[in-house]
Formats: sequence, structure tokens, C-alpha cells
Amino acid sequence: MAAATSVASRAQAVLRGRLCDQAVVHAALRSSPDTNYSKLKYLVASSVSEACNNSVLLLGPRGCGKAAVVKMVLDDLKKEHPDAISVIRLNGMLHSDDNCAMKEIARQLCLEHQLSFSKMASSDDNTEFMIDMLRECGLAHKTIIFVLEEFDLFAQGKQRLLYSLLDAMQSLTSQAVVIGVSCRLDADQLLEKRVRSRFSHRKLLFVPSSVDSLQRLMDHLLTLSEDTPLPTKYVREYNARVTSIFSDKKFKGILNSLTDADATTSHILRFLFRVVSYMDMDSGLLSMQSFMNALSSMQRQPKMDSLQDLSILELYILVCMNRLEDKEHSSYNFTTIMKEYKSVQDAYKTSDKYSHTVCFRAFEHLLGRELISFADNRGRTLSLEYRPVKLLISSHELAQSLKLNTTCPAVLQKLLDRERYM
Amino acid sequence: MSQSVTPRRTTRSSASASPSAAPATPSSPPKSRPKPSPRRQLLAAAAAAPPKEDGSSVDAALLDALPGRRAQAMDLLRLLAPAPVLPLMLHGGAATGKTRALLLALRHLRPSQRLVYAALRSLPSPRALFASILSQLSATSFSTSSRQRLPDKPSDFVAALRDALTGIISQGEVVYLVFDNLEVVRSWDKGGQLLPLLRLHDLLQLSQVVLVYVSSGTPDAYYSMTGSVEPNYVYFPDYTVDEVRDILMHGHPNPKLYSSFLSVALKPLFRVTRRVDELSAVLEPLFRRYCEPLGDLKAVPDEGMKRRLFEHVQPHLAVALNETFSVPMRASMDEVKDVGSAGKGSVKRQFAGRDGISSELEFHMSVSAKYLLLSAFLASRNPATLDAALFDSTGGSDNHKRKRKSSQASRDMKDTIVEEMLMKGPGTFPLERLLAIFQCITSVSEDILDEVECPDNMASESETTGLMSDVLLQLSTLCNSNFLSKSRSCPLEGSARYRSNIDEDLALKVARSVHFPLSKYMYRR
Repeated sequence: MAAATSVASRAQAVLRGRLCDQAVVHAALRSSPDTNYSKLKYLVASSVSEACNNSVLLLGPRGCGKAAVVKMVLDDLKKEHPDAISVIRLNGMLHSDDNCAMKEIARQLCLEHQLSFSKMASSDDNTEFMIDMLRECGLAHKTIIFVLEEFDLFAQGKQRLLYSLLDAMQSLTSQAVVIGVSCRLDADQLLEKRVRSRFSHRKLLFVPSSVDSLQRLMDHLLTLSEDTPLPTKYVREYNARVTSIFSDKKFKGILNSLTDADATTSHILRFLFRVVSYMDMDSGLLSMQSFMNALSSMQRQPKMDSLQDLSILELYILVCMNRLEDKEHSSYNFTTIMKEYKSVQDAYKTSDKYSHTVCFRAFEHLLGRELISFADNRGRTLSLEYRPVKLLISSHELAQSLKLNTTCPAVLQKLLDRERYM
Repeated sequence: MSQSVTPRRTTRSSASASPSAAPATPSSPPKSRPKPSPRRQLLAAAAAAPPKEDGSSVDAALLDALPGRRAQAMDLLRLLAPAPVLPLMLHGGAATGKTRALLLALRHLRPSQRLVYAALRSLPSPRALFASILSQLSATSFSTSSRQRLPDKPSDFVAALRDALTGIISQGEVVYLVFDNLEVVRSWDKGGQLLPLLRLHDLLQLSQVVLVYVSSGTPDAYYSMTGSVEPNYVYFPDYTVDEVRDILMHGHPNPKLYSSFLSVALKPLFRVTRRVDELSAVLEPLFRRYCEPLGDLKAVPDEGMKRRLFEHVQPHLAVALNETFSVPMRASMDEVKDVGSAGKGSVKRQFAGRDGISSELEFHMSVSAKYLLLSAFLASRNPATLDAALFDSTGGSDNHKRKRKSSQASRDMKDTIVEEMLMKGPGTFPLERLLAIFQCITSVSEDILDEVECPDNMASESETTGLMSDVLLQLSTLCNSNFLSKSRSCPLEGSARYRSNIDEDLALKVARSVHFPLSKYMYRR
């Protein structure tokens, strides 16, 4: 028993390790000839061997493996030309500020070439340093590869970084490649004229994979190979189980509902990670149940969940707000809601008539749950009762959650329905 | 509003510390926060080496410590366990045990883990966050980042963080980075700081670093145009009635008695709020009251006694349903006792109480401050154009006719004005108007004032000058105690404007205490 458990946890560790490793996930790209991987590799490799400057954009929606492809290509090239390449990585989210980006480039260049980096250097010094380094590296036949992730964010503002980088690459002595990665398909249109004219218009487009290729990917990731240190008997049993699940009709349904929502690789990876985490640790095998559990935990609706968590009083306030919106009040605040609440309580004489303070606390809970919010940012000086609010849920969602709620009083349902069909 | 902050904080920490402490807090006064915060203790314990026991018994102990959170705890254990882990986000309402479950789960997952915990609510700025995380990392590692300058840009921070982490990871350790109260970050710098935080997994690319986010906001609050690495979500729903009962019952000295109390009190309170911390704060004084008729607290109640106790506690329950928190004042305690005997009629009057103020004023306020408060209230509610009509030379005594005239305005016009009034809230007024009204109403009620005023008023002309003398001091006192608020100065006039924050109930009470006919002066639409 104990042995089986440890085998199971070892297998789980192996599977998790694969799911978290981008190189394994996108290994399929490496094998086939006509992929973005081979195109990019050819491009970068030729500019390294022919000692020329180049630039390319990788465009495509998130989670399609753009960054993974870049990483694989660079790893391969580093193996092939260990001394001829140095890589500078920038991320638009961190370095969209030009000065900051220049500093980061200088820092990484110093790190690569064992130079001491001065934090006090001005932006101009750093730019000059970069141009000098480009020339020096060009003379030494060394290629500097700039990887700019979130490329579109570098195109905000004056684009000084892109300009000085691409301008430095116009000279014959330099030897550099700029690889831009962006999820905006119009990223090259964002460039200024002076930058665009210096940019080679090579673009590699990435598209989300089809359902078939996703299934192949799942197969590739979940099947254990026989040469792992795990016992062969277990691996065979495990693989047989996985194949049987893949051929199940229910699995097709799961896959479809998964890809209908989001067909990117990262989404599938998250799903598989959950599946592997839900593995039955006694037998060490995956089951249909773990797939179902993973799917249901991926398909939660946060708004509906938090609607189910509300107390009766909080539901009353939401219904009152909904009634106010149906009455086409242009804007309303807590005091208006309380007026409506009072009128409802007077009309129906329910037991849920509470004082102003308690209602206000419930109102604050709703604000905290972000089911309602203030309508504008003006009037911060006004006390909370008087600031206009709005609902962040639709009346349909509210009606549905009232229906699902077993403790909800019938009056509440009636209040909501009557208003809608009147 | 700040009115419920104090009890919430204490009960939150005690509720999150251990369920055994939650129902039994009569010894701790509500205002003093326990010095070694239980969460901090938990944190220290989670960072230290955990007790290494058999897997199954540890699981049982964990589930025992997290009542009602079985599914979530199992999820956490499974998702957090072996090293390469995709980022994780725990979300759910306040007081649902997110942080506690996470820290307990981390405590017995791994012997050699390194835990870095950043509660963003207690870190006011990105800079403080960066400093806190880096100091937690470098405190035990060999890196010398304490001598370096603290980073204030996200780019510097990520670089420093990567340096610190690679040093630790190279020793084969797993680092857990926990970001608690993530929802707070959205208000920092328009959320610009949020993106690097949420995408640390992509930015660091270190497989031995586990990122855990804890948020009370729903995941859709974090969708943005750069949302590629969605974490794995673990949802913490609010406790159900039965779970709350289990939590409150946990470790109670007299479970029979307490369960008979909960069967009476919990259901109605649960309709108002579902948060354990608030419930336990309300239930604790109620239970003491419930036990009052009992001589022996160890007694096991029978049916007859249960009924008797229920009848005893029922009026108090009705009061408790309608207040957010009670201030234990001697006067109000006595009054509640009276109310209990007097019956329901007077209980109703208590409901209006706000901030611990019940039907009679329970705080001391000088007469001039009361008048000032009333004039501020009038200045905020009444339109300035009507001042002349209300406070003319006759002292507002014949204002009935005028008032009737104004109320004869057309119906729909009136409705829209009422709506506007509800939307806008109390109006602002300059100091001059306040002083004018103050002078009017004090001069009108001179006869009443004579009774209250000190007899040895040496100024011969009038008592009002005595009242007027320190009015500016009184005004600043009222501002400081938040009865009035001072808003920005008006750009045209250049002087500060004031607004009264009190509601009508309180104003009427104050007026009653000085026998001032407030309703005569209020403009009714």
C-alpha cells in the first residue's frame, strides 16, 4: 500500500513537472518542419551566421506559446553557438519607461560581459554604452538578441527606446536581432513612422490550436513513457487507463465544453494540472471523476457563487435596487434604497424589517463583495449613504440565484417577478 | 463607516485564530487587540518546521482545525503539494477562513519550505511591499540585499526578487510567496502595480517558486487586457447555518446549554448577516443575558427551562437584530433591563439608536454645542432661500402660514425635489449662515434657556452673548467628533463650508433634550 502511494506521488510529480515546463508542452513544434519554431530558428540562425541585423515580430493571442517558442529557439542556438550569442530580455510590463528600459539593457549587458554596472549612469550614458557595445560585439562577431515581450507596451509614448535600438542597428558594424512578442495583432501599426521605417516587417502569426491538436497535446502530456524510473507494470496500467479515458464519449464532451470557453494552450494546461492534482492517490491512476471535478472547478461563475452566499437582508437590498432600476431611476443611493425597502416592508408586512444601521451594514457587505459599486468617483467627500450606486449584476442573474436559494422567502421572488412582468 | 470596525477586527483575529476562541471571548475587552496576533503566531508556526507525522493523521488534524472547509482544505493540499505548481488564487467573501486554511495547509505540507507572506492591507505602498518581501527573503539567506537600496520600481523589484530567489532555490528549497488581500492593490496607482504582481509567474520563470494569491474580490475583478496566466482558483463559500453552529459550538464549556441558545438565536441573526465574526460578536452578550436567570452555568436545561429562557432573551434578541454593535454603557444596560420589563413598545424606540445612542442622549454635550448642532442641522436641511421666512423678526412663530404656502406647490415638482434631496444628501453652508441661524434660534428660545443657563451671567445685555462667546471652539469640537464635516473652501467665496452629518433621529433627540421645537423650523416638502 505504502509503495503504491509513493509510486503515485512520484508519478504525480513527474506529470506536474511536465505540465509546468513550457519546453515539454511545446515540444511538438520542434519535430514538425513547417512551424513558427523552425521559421524563427532559421531567421535567427541565419542572422547569427551571416552577421547581419534583423528584426521580427511574433503576434498571436495569449497562451499560444509565443514566448515558449522564443525560449526554445534561443536555447537551441545557445547550444549551437555558445560564444556568439548574448540575450537581453525586456518586458513591456516592467520596462515600458524608456529610461528604465535603457538602464535594464545596460545592466544585462554588463552582466553578460562581466563589466561593472553603474547605477548612477544617466539615460544618455546608457544609450551611448549600448551603441558602443553593439559595435564592439559586431567587431567580435557576436550577436546580441533583444527579446521584447509585450512589445505593444514599448510602443506607447515617444518610442525612444525602439528608435535608438533600431537606429543603432542600421550601421554595418552592429550585429543584433530584435524579437518582439505581442498579443496585439496590430502591434506594428502602433509604431511611429521613423521607427517603422527602420523595422523589417517580418511577422510570424500564432493561432490557437484546433481541438484535434489539443487532444494530441493532452495525449502527449499525460502519457507516461516507459523509460521513466517508475515501475513498468504501473506505467502500462496507467497508460491503458489514460487511453481508455481519451476514447470515452464523455471525455469528448468535456473537451468540447472546455474549448468552447477558451481554447488556448494555457487554459488546457491549467485544466490538466487540476486533473493530475485530483489523481486518486491510492491507485495512482487518473479517473473520469478527476476530469469531471477539474472541469466543474474550472467552470465556476464567481458572481453566482457570491450571490448564493448572501443573507436574506442583503438579498432584499439587491431586489430593492433592481426595482429602482426597473422604475428607471437615473441614479439612486442608499437613502433611496431604504425608502424603497421601507415601502416594500410596509406593503408586505414581512418579518424582515430591520433598522437603518443593520441595513447599512448589509449594504457595506454588498459593496465589499463587489455585487454593487459606486456609480462614479465624484463626491468622495459625501458620506456613503448619499453616493450614487449601481448594480453589477443583471436582473436575470438575480432571479436565477433567488430560484436556486432554498432559504429565500417567497415574497422576495414575487417582488422581483411582479416588477419584471408588469 | 467606522462604526463596526473595532469589533470586527478583534473578532476577526480571534475567529481566524482558532474556532475555540471564537465563541468564548467574554474575557477579552472589545477594544484591546490581543498583542501577539493569532494570525502572526500561525504565520510563525507555518514558517517554522512543522510536526512531521503520518500523512493520514495530519490530514485529520488539519480538517479538524478547519470546520466546514473540508473540500477547500483537500483542494489546497492537492494543489499545493509537490514542487512545480501553477499559481493559485483563493477567493471568497470576508471571514470565510481563506488565510487560515492556507497557512494551516502550508504548515504541514513541507518540512523545508520557505514562506514569504505579504498582507497587502498592512502595506501602504508598492515600496513597502517590495521592502517587506525582500527583507523576508534575505533575513535568512546569504544575500546582502539589506545594504542595497530598496527598489521602488516594479522592474527593479522583479530583478532583486529574482536574484534573492535564485539564491535560495539553488539550495533546493521551495519558496511559497503569499499575497494576501490582493483586492487592495487595485486602488494603488490605478492598478498599474497589479499587472507585474499577477504575472510574477511569467516574469520569474522559476519552477520552485509557488505563488499564492488571497483575495476577497471575485476573480473577474482581475481580468485585464494582460491576463494570460490565470491562476488556479479555489473558492471559499460562506459558511452555512450548520457550519456556523459547529464553529460556534467548538470547545464550548456547556454545549447543551449553548446549543439550546443557538437554536433560538442563530436562525434570526443569520437572516441579517452570515459572517461568523459579526455573529459571534452579537451572540456573546446575548448568551450572557440568556444565562442570567440561571444560577448554575453548568446546568443542563430541560424543556420548561428552555422556554423560560427563551422568553427572557426574546426582547433582547429583537434589539440585537437591529444594531450593528452595542456600546456597553451603564445607562443603556439599565435601560435595556427596563425595556425588557416594559414590553415591546419601548423596544421599538431603541431601534432608531445609532452609534450607541438610544432614545435618550447618553453623552454629555454643552447646551451651546447642542444649539450649534441643531442650527447646523437646519442649515444643512433647509434651503438657504427660506431662512428669511423661517427666522424673521417674529422669531418663526408665525411660520405656519408660510409653510403651508410652500407646501401648496405642485405635486410632481415636490416629488422631484424630494428625490433630489435624497440623492444629494445634506447641503453645505458657510459659517455666517450657521452663526445667523444659531443666533436666531437661541434668541427665540430665550425663555427656555433661562432655566438652563447659569444664573451668574455677568454680561447684562443677554444670555446669548454668553453662548456666542466660545462658539468657534464648540464648532471645531463638533467637527472633530464628526458631527459636522468641514469641506473644501468654496472657490468663489473663499471661506470654508460645513455640512452636518447627523440624521433626523439624532437631531430630534438633541432638540428634545433642550426642549427646542425643531420640527417647527424644518422645511417639509
